[in-house]
Amino acid sequence: MSQSYDRGLVEDFGRWREFSAGMWAWVFHKFTGWVLVGYLFTHIAVLSTATISAEAYTQTIVGLESLLVIRFLEVGLLAVAVFHILNGLRLLFVDLGVGLEAQDKSFYASLALTGAIVVASVPTFLAGAV
Amino acid sequence: MADYYSSFEPKGTRWLLQRLTAAFLVVVLAFHFMLLHFVNHAAEVTFMQTNLRMSQPGYFLTMVAFLVTATFHGVNGVYNALVNQGLDGTPKTVVKYGLILASVLLVAQGIRVAMAMAGFIIGPAA
Amino acid sequence: MSTQVTEQETETEEQSSHQRRRLEEKAERAASRDRMRERAENDLDEADTTFTLKVFRYDPEIPEKEEPRFDTFEVPFTKGMTVLDSLMYARDHYDSSLTFRHSCRQAVCGSDALFVNGTQHLGCKTQVVDLGDDGGVPGEIRVEPLPHQEVVKDLVVDMEHFYDQMEAVEPYFDADELPDGMEEQRQTRENREKIKMSTRCIWCGACMSSCNVAAGNNEYLGPAAINKAYKFAMDEREGENRKQERLEIIEQEHGVWRCQTQFSCTEVCPKDIPLTEHIQELKREAVKNNLKFW
Repeated sequence: MSQSYDRGLVEDFGRWREFSAGMWAWVFHKFTGWVLVGYLFTHIAVLSTATISAEAYTQTIVGLESLLVIRFLEVGLLAVAVFHILNGLRLLFVDLGVGLEAQDKSFYASLALTGAIVVASVPTFLAGAV
Repeated sequence: MADYYSSFEPKGTRWLLQRLTAAFLVVVLAFHFMLLHFVNHAAEVTFMQTNLRMSQPGYFLTMVAFLVTATFHGVNGVYNALVNQGLDGTPKTVVKYGLILASVLLVAQGIRVAMAMAGFIIGPAA
Repeated sequence: MSTQVTEQETETEEQSSHQRRRLEEKAERAASRDRMRERAENDLDEADTTFTLKVFRYDPEIPEKEEPRFDTFEVPFTKGMTVLDSLMYARDHYDSSLTFRHSCRQAVCGSDALFVNGTQHLGCKTQVVDLGDDGGVPGEIRVEPLPHQEVVKDLVVDMEHFYDQMEAVEPYFDADELPDGMEEQRQTRENREKIKMSTRCIWCGACMSSCNVAAGNNEYLGPAAINKAYKFAMDEREGENRKQERLEIIEQEHGVWRCQTQFSCTEVCPKDIPLTEHIQELKREAVKNNLKFW
């Protein structure tokens, strides 16, 4: 057989417009997962100031929280965590075999709910730094 | 492909654990967020308050369980994402042990931090 | 001598008559191509609607075609036309080198799975009008070979990997525990209903090509193979031992566990098999099976 042509990953991110709901769910769940794992390591690192002294701990946290950019990052973190939780619940239902007919609708619902929760939480998160 | 029997893979155990830790984390992560951003405000956190919370045995144990399950769930997720992407052979083994090491270190450090927050100081004195 | 001369003469005569015949045939083919093209032009003039067919072309054996490209063909629309019909029209009227697999034209052989306008479809089952907005004829139809598989020529992909994965689950009935005497092996209606959808697989390869995990991970069995395993594992006529063996195959690392419930396979399956559902059932089955031994 003659040499065959490898087109690389067709139907991947270049063709994002043609993605189905299930595919978006998978992509977002992965992305939010990576962000959360990254955050977990960072979080423990920041909290490690508690092993130095009480003042170091408090100062670090207050210092970070006074930066506006940190507040925005926290809103982002909320969005990421809420989506991962809601889509995760959707996946748990799929794993139990419940509601498979509505799997794409449930994805859109988790997106919508994530948006709603994030928007509602913005005032609380930005309080004190704006 | 049928000939490849991996003796190391406890069939589907990690899959099941990923789901079980997920169910636990849904509740605890939501609780953690609520407690530290809505009930208390993150900007107003001080060591005193943290100490107060962590001195309660129930809360302390929940936080440690949170740490362990989150580490497993996250690192297992990362491992699976890489395998799905096509990681195999030697790089896969290297990554697997690297991730296991990272998890152990993270949990160890996390428990040290938790102890320090609760007032049991191990290691360099305050 | 004279015989020789005659033979020589006959030889040269035969040769030239061979040659003549060949040249005549060649001229006839060229003329027939021109006739087809004329007919195509006629058809285009007479047709109410026409559409553009954009087809992926690649041929490693011809220097000009080593770089993949898209060829455009203008095809007259006729009522009930399928994508396969339009491809055959293009091949017959414009370019006889256009290569694609097809056989039954009725969605049972699984030969003509193609990537049409960005989604997997069976060529013979896809009506051209279904590709346009609101049931009209689309202006352009883009046809490519199935994704995530190597292209041999034009729209033909290498299916060997797909077949390897299918074979890996041992997709054959092997009742090691036969009923006593000369009874038939019975299957209840309920059991038949349960596995009915999984029996519809025509090995077209659309599902595997739509799965991002199958794309990234070469060892993943894939939805079609796992569905096949489901069909046999869930069949009550198969013995307990055989079912255990099957479960052992699919519960390896690159079996059912790699499925990320993306649902793309279920969406593109031309036989409407609920693939993800079957894979999920097997995951649950495997977990329950393993829990028993602890």
